[in-house]
Amino acid sequence: MKRQIPLIIVITLGFMFVAHSFIPHTISQDFLTWFQDWMKAISPFAVVLGIMSLFMVHGKKISYKAPNWQYSIVTLAGLIFTALTGFIWGTQAGTPYMWIFKNIQMPMSSTMFALLAFYIASAAYKAFRARSPEATVLLVAAIIVMLGQVPLGTMISKWIPISSKWILNVPNLASKRAIMIGVGLGMTATSLKILLGIERTYLGGGD
Amino acid sequence: MNGKIIAFFDKMQKLDRRYIYLMVALSIIIPLVIPFNSPTFTSETTENIYRKIDSFAGDPTKAVLLSFSHDASTMPELFPMEVSVLRHCFERNVRIFTICWSPAAAPLMEHAINTAKENYDVTSGVDYVNFGYKPNSLFLPIVLGMGEDISEAIDTDSQGRKIKNLDIMKEIKNYDDMNLVIDFSGGGAALSWVTYARAKFGVNVAAGITAVMVADYYPYLQTGQLIGMFRGLKGAAEYEKMVDVFASYETDEYPNGRPFSKEVIKNVKVPITKSTIIYIEDGVEFDTGIPLNYKYKVARIGMNAQSVAHIMIIVFIILGNIGFFLTRKKDNL
Repeated sequence: MKRQIPLIIVITLGFMFVAHSFIPHTISQDFLTWFQDWMKAISPFAVVLGIMSLFMVHGKKISYKAPNWQYSIVTLAGLIFTALTGFIWGTQAGTPYMWIFKNIQMPMSSTMFALLAFYIASAAYKAFRARSPEATVLLVAAIIVMLGQVPLGTMISKWIPISSKWILNVPNLASKRAIMIGVGLGMTATSLKILLGIERTYLGGGD
Repeated sequence: MNGKIIAFFDKMQKLDRRYIYLMVALSIIIPLVIPFNSPTFTSETTENIYRKIDSFAGDPTKAVLLSFSHDASTMPELFPMEVSVLRHCFERNVRIFTICWSPAAAPLMEHAINTAKENYDVTSGVDYVNFGYKPNSLFLPIVLGMGEDISEAIDTDSQGRKIKNLDIMKEIKNYDDMNLVIDFSGGGAALSWVTYARAKFGVNVAAGITAVMVADYYPYLQTGQLIGMFRGLKGAAEYEKMVDVFASYETDEYPNGRPFSKEVIKNVKVPITKSTIIYIEDGVEFDTGIPLNYKYKVARIGMNAQSVAHIMIIVFIILGNIGFFLTRKKDNL
């Protein structure tokens, strides 16, 4: 029963959504409205579940003094403190919540992403080599696209942005589309397998 | 002599990566601290978004929805786009809605609106509405629901006001009116709008994305499923320039901004270190004396840093390859 009931729910609702997409009838529209109300009711529980899970994982780490357990204290303190500032003073401009966001979260997130530039530059210097004809094509394409992305490319020659656009519009587009079609066919096949009850691994457990 | 060159490149091959990091840092910091004027060439993907928004100018039955699907990590690239689009809408009296799907994006959205509206006399609920943060789990019901009735799909705005009671909603009901969605993200979030809102309701979708995601979006541009795209910081810089040249342009001939023109954008320079517009005729530049009303030029300053960083990386690649070939030749001898 533990596996059969979820399976029945998935199969029934799955077929109902397929029907909804193809049948523009009032009953079909009402079904969507009914589903939307359910979604709104269910989603807050996911937040509660997430917070509980975070407390359980980090609480355990702190109580057992697992490696780097100090960071878990920072995580939980950050969660509690930020949430409290939001609940007490609101989240509008000029509140402590916005101060935390602007002065702590924003610079930290930007810093993490900015590190990418350093890694790319280092990797380009150390590893981007014309070792084979394929690697040479990749290297030349990368240089043209990089130059096409800055004004200097256009200033050097009007052909650089044109070539950059061609690379993105023809070989890139063709390969992306091929990948997307492959992924699409795979998704359709997997969806059908789930709808027909053949694919059951999402239920967890053994077979 | 040859031996010395080979030895130099051999040494360069083993260069400590911290020197590379230092050079990258300098190539980014110096152009940010000392701004200089570099040209901004606009592209069709950005122009299309500008023209679409401009076609809504002054029409109370049309609106634009901005979807913020990112956090602060991608802010340097995406934030200038958002502010420029908001400025364009405020300049041209275009109704605007904003929404986000992650708690981390909500303050960014507030920040973008507050930054853009500094110079404009706009009122929340009349000229724009911030729908606020909606949980991502509600993405589908809200996106599909807005196709029928926006005020049914979203009950309240970020200030807790009933959407259906707001003035802005008098002539805006669904995607037929709110006919352009621009999603700003560092991933594939805009594609969900294509899959659901575009396919089912025919809404125009555009994407504001980080430069690393550009290649992924080209198939959707070619099919017309995306009407336009901001290609990273370059797209933001292009839009900033277009807003300065057209939307915020004020002369006796054009008291409320002038219409978009490819010829004009090609022949106009908007220097970031001066306060007037420069016009180019037959390759000769002359100062028009027409004042620039803008304050916001973050993307164009950022583009200077990006230009230098790109050149730096290209130089690294070339040097690295020269070294690679020379040392390989030496090893084969």
